[in-house]
Amino acid sequence: MKEKLEQLRSQVLESLDKLSDKKELDELRVRVMGKKGQLTELLRGMGALPPEERPKAGQLVNSLRVELEAKFDEIEARMEEQLKNSRLAEETLDITMPGKRRKLGGLHPLNSVLEELIDIFRPMGFDVVDGPEIETEYYIFEALNVPKDHPARDEQDTFYLTDDILLRTQTSAAQIRVMEHLKPPIRIISPGRVYRADEVDATHSPVFHQVEGLVGDKGITMCDLKGVLEQFAHEMYGPETKVRFRPSFFPFTEPSVEVDVSCGECGGKGCRVCKGSGWIEILGAGMVHPNVLSVCGIDPEEYSGFAFGIGLDRLTTTRHKISDIRLLFENDRRFLEQFSR
Amino acid sequence: MKVSLNWLGRYVDIKVPLEQLCDKMVQAGFEVDGIEDLSQTMDNVVVGRILKLEKHPDADKLLVCQLDVGRGDPVQVVTGADNVFEGALVPVALHDSRLPNGMYIKKGKLRGVESNGMLCSGEELCLKEDDYEGAEVHGILILKEDCQPGTDMRSVLGLDDVIIDFSVTANRPDCQSMLGIAREVAVVLGESLRRPQPAYKTKGGDVNDYISVTVEDYDLCPRYVGRVVRNIRIAQSPEWMKRCLRAAGMRPINNIVDITNFVMLETGQPMHAFDLRHVRGGKIIVRRAEEGEPMTTLDGKQHKLNKEMLVIADAEQPSCLAGIMGGLDSEITEDTTELFLESAKFRRDCVRRTARALGIRTESSARFEKGVDIMGVGYTMERALQLIDELDAGDIVEGVIDRNQGLPKDRVLKVSVSGINGLLGLDIPAGTMVEILNSLSVKTTLSGDTLTCEVPSFRDDIEGRADIAEEVMRIYGYDHIVGTTMRGNIVRGRKPHDRLCADRIKSLLVSQGLNEIVTYSFISSKALDMLGLAEDDDRRRAVTLRNPLGEEYSVMRTQLVSSMLSVLSTNYNRKIPSVRFFELSKVFIPDSVPITRQPEERPALAIGLYGEDEDFFTLKGIVEEIFSAFGISPAFERSSEVYLHPGRQAAVVVNGVAAAVFGEVHPDTAERFGIETRAFIAEVRMDMLVSAEKTLVLYKPLPRFPAVERDLALVCDAGLPVAEIEGIIRSSGGKNLESIELFDVYQGTQIEKGKKSVAYRLVFRSAESTLKDEDVDAFLNKIIRKLNEKGCNLRS
Repeated sequence: MKEKLEQLRSQVLESLDKLSDKKELDELRVRVMGKKGQLTELLRGMGALPPEERPKAGQLVNSLRVELEAKFDEIEARMEEQLKNSRLAEETLDITMPGKRRKLGGLHPLNSVLEELIDIFRPMGFDVVDGPEIETEYYIFEALNVPKDHPARDEQDTFYLTDDILLRTQTSAAQIRVMEHLKPPIRIISPGRVYRADEVDATHSPVFHQVEGLVGDKGITMCDLKGVLEQFAHEMYGPETKVRFRPSFFPFTEPSVEVDVSCGECGGKGCRVCKGSGWIEILGAGMVHPNVLSVCGIDPEEYSGFAFGIGLDRLTTTRHKISDIRLLFENDRRFLEQFSR
Repeated sequence: MKVSLNWLGRYVDIKVPLEQLCDKMVQAGFEVDGIEDLSQTMDNVVVGRILKLEKHPDADKLLVCQLDVGRGDPVQVVTGADNVFEGALVPVALHDSRLPNGMYIKKGKLRGVESNGMLCSGEELCLKEDDYEGAEVHGILILKEDCQPGTDMRSVLGLDDVIIDFSVTANRPDCQSMLGIAREVAVVLGESLRRPQPAYKTKGGDVNDYISVTVEDYDLCPRYVGRVVRNIRIAQSPEWMKRCLRAAGMRPINNIVDITNFVMLETGQPMHAFDLRHVRGGKIIVRRAEEGEPMTTLDGKQHKLNKEMLVIADAEQPSCLAGIMGGLDSEITEDTTELFLESAKFRRDCVRRTARALGIRTESSARFEKGVDIMGVGYTMERALQLIDELDAGDIVEGVIDRNQGLPKDRVLKVSVSGINGLLGLDIPAGTMVEILNSLSVKTTLSGDTLTCEVPSFRDDIEGRADIAEEVMRIYGYDHIVGTTMRGNIVRGRKPHDRLCADRIKSLLVSQGLNEIVTYSFISSKALDMLGLAEDDDRRRAVTLRNPLGEEYSVMRTQLVSSMLSVLSTNYNRKIPSVRFFELSKVFIPDSVPITRQPEERPALAIGLYGEDEDFFTLKGIVEEIFSAFGISPAFERSSEVYLHPGRQAAVVVNGVAAAVFGEVHPDTAERFGIETRAFIAEVRMDMLVSAEKTLVLYKPLPRFPAVERDLALVCDAGLPVAEIEGIIRSSGGKNLESIELFDVYQGTQIEKGKKSVAYRLVFRSAESTLKDEDVDAFLNKIIRKLNEKGCNLRS
């Protein structure tokens, strides 16, 4: 019995070494351990042994079964591992092939820059407010301290619909509409479309866009105006950007300033972009004119405020180095796609 | 305002470099639009005297000149001109010189004779007769005896000058003059201003013996000053005055005309000179024109005037359009002997309207439009008389006519120092404020915290504290303004709901591969014809511009479709194979035409697509996504939009109203827009979308019991809309019918002609129990029965 077991053991171990795949392993397992397998046969053959030898023999058979089972399992596991590895190896991809994606569209550059701008001003407490594009003379001129005989009211600059109704020439009209309904503290920006009777060329368009800003409260100073515009400039153009005020004139602010930022191209040394000056004009601003506050029922002795107006089209063209404003309104897909995100 | 540096030097010393001057003026509010250095025009061209003139040995038409050019030995130059003579002063372009016409002159040999330069003609120096007498004579320019050999030609011609073009803001009409700019320059440089102090001799007589002046309309002419000058001696102006006029871009004419122009440029106050012979009846009447009154201006143009226009008339007829242009017959001529001089203030909007209406714009009208100083009217007259006296151009008659209704006194403003500092956020010392204001001719004293400011009449832009603060600040320097953080509690700013909704739609469309476009709000009225809209279509009731740039930009749009089609067309014609575009903008809906009040500004969304992968259903998919993003499940109904394909368009109906229309563009419309491919377009009412939004989502319990799925393959008429089939299934399916999915539609050889096969997957599920097959079958049979009634049968 013992010899038979020993013989079977070495025979099986030898076969196991020669196995080439899992199918053969399974067949061998059945041949040895199966219901009609060699080991089972040996166990059955135990009946022929004298009763006193049977326990011993049973022990031997069982230990061989355990040993062989372990051996089979081990080899099976090894085979599976190899199989998996070779499958993984086969599945290697050319990871430089293009990804499968749904192509995204994109916002128009005017509006993506506007969103940037809104995201800069909202955390500073500025509400976004909209106003009508078709306005009355009162809101465009009279309430904004533009006198009746002012050249800005000329037909040649402004599109009129009737004697009194016109296409707004600036978003400053929103100042009045806001201050009529809200009392200080006020912090708003009002983006929108404006119209002027300019013939179309590389830098002019009869339709363009502005963002008006207005702050009104007790004790608002010109230094506060600069503080807000510096914050805007740092976020829009980078933390190194400097802001400069130059005196100017707008009927609805006093004092009025043009606001320049240091040229991002040359860092203020002077280059082609800034025409050698080191500065780029970005907006007009000033302290809200006392007459404008009074018109809206706000006491200029008690309150002060500032306003600014950003030209969105110019901001967009300079930001993205777009050479011709007409591209913004032409809507060529190849142009728009450059701004897809 | 073009300012000659040499002229400016008559009133203020400029001891700093040009660049520094410009920089300081910019800081004070006068932007520099341009700098023209006249000396750059030529180089190394000098005055030479011809010492000796000989014939060229080998050429009959050439002469060899020996010239004294003020330095060392005579210079030899060969010339071909025949108007030169020994002793003549001529311009000589020396070796290595540059001429205004771009020529470079080098020494060389002409027919074997050395020539060390070139004698110049007026034309070669780009001179006109106005620039230098004799400049247009054929041949070499013969110079006058008032210059020395060796003198640089630039100083002979007054080209040793720099012209600075300052931009003057609308609130500073006082700076539309040399003296106005000089005043500012003096302040920024800390120099004193030399304002001419007029003084002159009169030669007796009495102005009232020559003329009477009546102002009928003081509202349009608050001040009118007149003087008479006799024995006019018309002559050339002196060179210094001619140079000043030329530097300002004006042509010297004669002493009288030049003086009126010179003082206008100097003080900003236009003047007018009348030939007294032509003032009929010895009367000057300042009055409104009569309706339809005719007048011929000195440019020979005939005008019909109206009651809004102001004229200077004599006893019979208008002889001058006030502040704009003289009449044809009152002009100063060579034989004028007696002169009536006018200096006046005319109301600026009157001048502006008249000039616009008649299409005339002059140096004079431009200044009156911006506004002149009522006190400057008198000063300017005095200054003109001083020059007439100095140039001996005539005899000044005693007496002045000054018509006005009282002249204003300097206004006095009281402003607090702390108020100014409070507005600026600075701490400027009161003494500094006083100093700055006084330097600006605003006489200011300090008492306690109060500044008392006397504002001169030429600064009527200064009205109160804010203006005083600005005057102080622009001289004190804006660099002192340092950014501060505003006080106050801040919460994040809000965005209006409409904008938030628009943001959502935009990001949804961007994720669907659409690019946003931006187009003009005004369109051509032809665009509505191109859409094929009926004559009575509401969208033709649009707001129109009274003064459009042209027909193509004349109508405020009532729809976005035509703009979108134009953009599709642009792209298509640039051979771009496919596009997916959207635009979110306003349309303008008037309640009546013509409008009496502002129209409704309605937000709208347009979508436009074309390309190989696009069809009706790719567009419908996008439309469905939009409505689904707002929690709306709309109905789709056939629509009859004229610009869309009659069989391939639908309205999106929400709460019984069409909130959108979309479909394939009608081939006729596409053709009119020049789009030679199938294009697809949608227009959505943003306002309806936003108001129909189902905002809050309420949770429904997750299913606890398994579902039963059944597939139905049906055959029906090809024209039967699947929505109808679905409607039947849904209404007959009972409450346990959870979902219906159309997964196949087939038309072709396997199916009878005119029929189609449609396949649905139905899912049944109960919230209470596991459904049994029998339960489902009962409903399925009912569904099939109802479908049969509609001619919709199970596919065998």
